[in-house]
Amino acid sequence: MAITKLLFASLLICSMIQSSHGATKERLFTDLEKGALEITATPSRTGQGVVLAAGVDKLSITWKVSSTATKEAEFKIIKVKLCYAPVSQVDRPWRKTHNELFKDKSCPHKISSFPYDPTVKTAQSFDYTLERDIPTGTYYVRAYAVDAQDHEVAFGQTTNEAKTADLFSVQAISGRHKSLDIASVCFSVFSVVALLVFFVNEKRKAKIEQSK
Amino acid sequence: MPQTFETHDRTAEPEDIFHSDTDLLETIAAHHDVSDQVQAPKQLSPSHSSETGDTGSSMHGVSTKTTGKYDLPVDLEDKATVFKILSVAKPHMRTFHLSWISFSTCFVSTFAAAPLVPIIRENLNLTKQDIGNAGVASVSGSIFSRLVMGAVCDILGPRYGCAFLVMLSAPTVFSMSFVGGAAGFITVRFMIGFCLATFVSCQYWMSTMFTSNIIGLVNGTAAGWGNMGGGITQLLMPVVYEIIRRCGATAFTAWRIAFFVPGWLHIIMGILVLTLGQDLPGGNRKDMEIRGKVVKDKLGKIMWCAVTNYRTWIFVLLYGYSMGVELSTDNVIAEYFFDRFHLKLHTAGIIAASFGMANFFARPAGGYASDMAAKYFGMRGRLWALWIIQTAGGIFCVWLGRANTLVTAVVAMILFSLGAQAACGATFAIVPFISRRSLGIISGLTGAGGNFGSGLTQLIFFSTSRFTTEQGLTWMGVMIIACTLPVTLCRFPQWGSMFLPPSTVTAEQYYVSEWSEEEKQNNMHLGSLAFAKSAESEGGRRAHSTVIV
Repeated sequence: MAITKLLFASLLICSMIQSSHGATKERLFTDLEKGALEITATPSRTGQGVVLAAGVDKLSITWKVSSTATKEAEFKIIKVKLCYAPVSQVDRPWRKTHNELFKDKSCPHKISSFPYDPTVKTAQSFDYTLERDIPTGTYYVRAYAVDAQDHEVAFGQTTNEAKTADLFSVQAISGRHKSLDIASVCFSVFSVVALLVFFVNEKRKAKIEQSK
Repeated sequence: MPQTFETHDRTAEPEDIFHSDTDLLETIAAHHDVSDQVQAPKQLSPSHSSETGDTGSSMHGVSTKTTGKYDLPVDLEDKATVFKILSVAKPHMRTFHLSWISFSTCFVSTFAAAPLVPIIRENLNLTKQDIGNAGVASVSGSIFSRLVMGAVCDILGPRYGCAFLVMLSAPTVFSMSFVGGAAGFITVRFMIGFCLATFVSCQYWMSTMFTSNIIGLVNGTAAGWGNMGGGITQLLMPVVYEIIRRCGATAFTAWRIAFFVPGWLHIIMGILVLTLGQDLPGGNRKDMEIRGKVVKDKLGKIMWCAVTNYRTWIFVLLYGYSMGVELSTDNVIAEYFFDRFHLKLHTAGIIAASFGMANFFARPAGGYASDMAAKYFGMRGRLWALWIIQTAGGIFCVWLGRANTLVTAVVAMILFSLGAQAACGATFAIVPFISRRSLGIISGLTGAGGNFGSGLTQLIFFSTSRFTTEQGLTWMGVMIIACTLPVTLCRFPQWGSMFLPPSTVTAEQYYVSEWSEEEKQNNMHLGSLAFAKSAESEGGRRAHSTVIV
């Protein structure tokens, strides 16, 4: 059949493409310069056991380039991201940390992205309100310095290397709304009532017909 | 009204008794012409008269004044003898369309959560185990509800059975808006899963409207198109979600609103079924005349025949690894493409949809392949065809798990879907030959085996952190190949097995052996006798005396 031939042909082509893809070296996280950026994130509410509310609470993020940074000349853009702490990655393989940068899923939430101004040497800060699509979890903040080819060259994070210090917890919005709940109940009731009305009506008609 | 079990066993799950194709139709026609001759004085189509079933007291849409003026040619029971797919003529084709669309709607709502899992898992803080357990729950509920549905159809009739189930499960779909955590999510998916029992009402209703000659094709088409709902939902839900997001809702609210769409579909289909559907084509007077003469069989005896036949269990296992893996894949594939290949939600949805949509032709094609094999090699050909198709599906599943690029994964997935779904069709091309007496129960057990296999597979491979999803798919493929091997052990003494030739037992002896001497004296076995005669073609080409080479 023509379809089978087409399938086999595409199969061959695909396997050839795959093998000819070759060995381009993947960019690794461990190649990046550590601690090139010094960054701190202060939540708007602090204290023992405080959980920040998504959509409401803020982070005040302060950053500057470290004096020990060597690749500063390459910095073009600074990307600040919200990252999962290890405790929020347990049993959740879609948040796993990978060394290959393109595979790494531990920092999916973008906080901010802005061009790097080499003339400003002092610490800069900005506020970030936790977005309403941030899930419940424990987080830290990481900033990547990106070069002109959009490749990361250096980074800095608010926590230590073991990712145990200076973490903060966020509680997500529930996504539920009273209006949604009410609409849901209304339609459910309508469904059940419509069915019963129909059923009872027909039974009545059948009885009337039978007695005729 | 007394509930005869014969109606229950034949119609409760006559799941795709025969699958598609004109060659098979001729075989079926042969079955029933012969059986008609054998039992003409008693009733019109003895082995399937029970399929009209006791439709309860609902006479909706039936006017005692109609003189049988239908768009389609009908038989003496006013059942259509022709299957005109594009017509919506009342009552036959209209019933067909109402029936498969409501079954498809239930598939849509059962698997509606699957493509949205990447959003839901963040909102509800789910772990991999929670997601896996919810998947298991979604297919487990219907194991039980399908068994109950047969009784419901007997008592209330298929129209009410369908409408009741569809409209009473609408609240379960709407209750997704209340879900706050893993427990709620699993519970709601479990409850929504009950509505997959519309499969039973769908097949039962078809059998009141279509004559037994073509019931195989009709039921098979209805089942295949219904299963497509599992594919449609992968496309529909992400698109609806995107639209709601664009209208301004946040992600965690948008998915809850998206669930209103399947909920509304339930209500709409329920109302359509109640208003446009009718239980009987007409001529209910004739139905009452015939009803008294049905051969009543005992539930216990039928169950015993089904359960002690080892072939039943082989096919329960096999269906668990063709239909079962199809259901499991419906639950995991969109999330898999989203995570592994970094696709957008609706792109992952499109790819996942093509898996389920292949049912449109893959399932009938499997039945057709089985019939072609039977034409040349008889039952042995059917067994080989099933083994080859299902094992091929397993191999492609392994390949899917091991595919590292998007294109290879998509190709592997499509081939896997063709293999698994064609295997479903091929399975039910053989099931009717396992037993004549217990056809309904065996079909029901096989169907339940499908759901059970799905739950088991999801529990082992997709609910733990032990396997990544790609490893899970690979191992699922290995398990398919392993669990298809038992078909080599299936031996019909009159036709042989894959490797062994037939013995001297004839088809008559095989089918009549299910009845005791006492029952034979009461002529209860005549239907089996007639079936055995018409099953001669399963002997392959050698069995025909006039063979054109």
